Amino acid sequence: MSQRYAYYPGCSLEASAVEYDLSTRSVLKALGVELEEIPDWSCCGASAGHAVSKSIALALPARDLAKAESMGRNVLAPCPACYKNLRYVRESLSDEEARRKVERLLEGTGLSLSGSSEVRHLLEVLAGDVGAERIAEAVTVPLEGLKVVTYYGCYITRPGGMRSFDDPVEPVSMDLLCRAVGAAVLPFTRKTRCCGAPVMMSAPEEMHRLSYEILQEAKQRGAEAVVVACPLCHHALDAAQPEIEKHHGALSMPVLYITQLLGLALGLNPFEELGLDRNVVSTEGIVKRFSKVTCSR
Amino acid sequence: MKTLVQEVIEAGGGESIKACYQCGTCTGGCPTAGEMDYTPRQIIRMVNLGMRDRVLTSSSIWLCASCYQCQVRCPRGVRIADVMAALRSIAIRDGITAAKPRAPAFYQSFLENISAYGRQFEPVLILRTIAKSREGVAAKLGFLLGMLPMGVTLLKSRKMPLRAEKVQAIEEVRRLFSNAERLEAEG
Repeated sequence: MSQRYAYYPGCSLEASAVEYDLSTRSVLKALGVELEEIPDWSCCGASAGHAVSKSIALALPARDLAKAESMGRNVLAPCPACYKNLRYVRESLSDEEARRKVERLLEGTGLSLSGSSEVRHLLEVLAGDVGAERIAEAVTVPLEGLKVVTYYGCYITRPGGMRSFDDPVEPVSMDLLCRAVGAAVLPFTRKTRCCGAPVMMSAPEEMHRLSYEILQEAKQRGAEAVVVACPLCHHALDAAQPEIEKHHGALSMPVLYITQLLGLALGLNPFEELGLDRNVVSTEGIVKRFSKVTCSR
Repeated sequence: MKTLVQEVIEAGGGESIKACYQCGTCTGGCPTAGEMDYTPRQIIRMVNLGMRDRVLTSSSIWLCASCYQCQVRCPRGVRIADVMAALRSIAIRDGITAAKPRAPAFYQSFLENISAYGRQFEPVLILRTIAKSREGVAAKLGFLLGMLPMGVTLLKSRKMPLRAEKVQAIEEVRRLFSNAERLEAEG
């Protein structure tokens, strides 16, 4: 059965998280899931919309959601912040006053919103709509012996106070996916503890401290990689890791997107299809163990 | 004259703020409380008491990471993270940015970028934030220099876009901004 979604990559996936975009597209294609990018999508407003006004926090995602509706499909968002913002607008529609407000916010754009398209996070699609069983069947290179911890961050399990598809205290969706492809998931207490990325501007040293605690626990537990599903968490844990090491000491902890991990097990090209050469902390050891392709160029 | 708690409710902080019984569960789970001048529990009490200036000039509202740990745990249903966002929006509207000038400058620049391109474009975002931030030249320069290693890291990994991805129907996006401004002005 073919599954189809209106794909909302979001701004990070065009910039610092290009490997998340690449690996998401590749893995879903390999699993027979069809993605159609929302044409001419715009930014959801991230955390800035809510910080400036309730109206702009509703208006920006409303445009994208309205475009997805006209495609007649549910939305798939890999970025948890985009996922939260799009869902916030859709769930607001159940309130009559908010619905009228959204209508007025869309005035003059020729767009309208009814709430017919659901908003799903990538993990929800992989663990729920596709399912771990179907993914396990597609494995060609089991990631046997690979020890990982799963890090969910905030908006996957706590999407702005809204109900989550996963447990807010002990989430399991990503664990099930890692196990389905043969990896060993270690116990980890900081699965949903904030990485600090949102205070990057106001208190970068706080971001480094919070991310350090996550990476340090992963290391103490003997993990060979941290697996994530958020471009901001990835930025804080991977791209900022050299900076964290300056203050807190060596870590050398690879941070993989869940789609990069799944893609390796599906036998996809680690560089051309999964972008594993774009991670800041080297993933070379893991690539060499599980792929015959070991040179990106 | 509106009370602070009324302003917070209107800005999306939720009526439930009035139900707070000061148990401190929010502070206990907060990842950044240690750095705040007032803890989340204190901020909620101060809002209910109408201590407007002290709340809006506090570092707390800019150190909140919006992680929602407090909100999902609150036994009284207080939407603490939404209260913090409401306080940020009131402070930005009133031009009160003393505690952490870079954070409000960042949020405003973020939206200006969306209005310009329709999507985010980091190099310009950082420059706009530095230009807008109400801090001394030395602090601005320090910030820029501090960002450089990350810029180099991202360039090396081929993850720093050098050209903005623009939305074609940018007039649609700008219309959203003018509609939102009009609705906010109506109150």
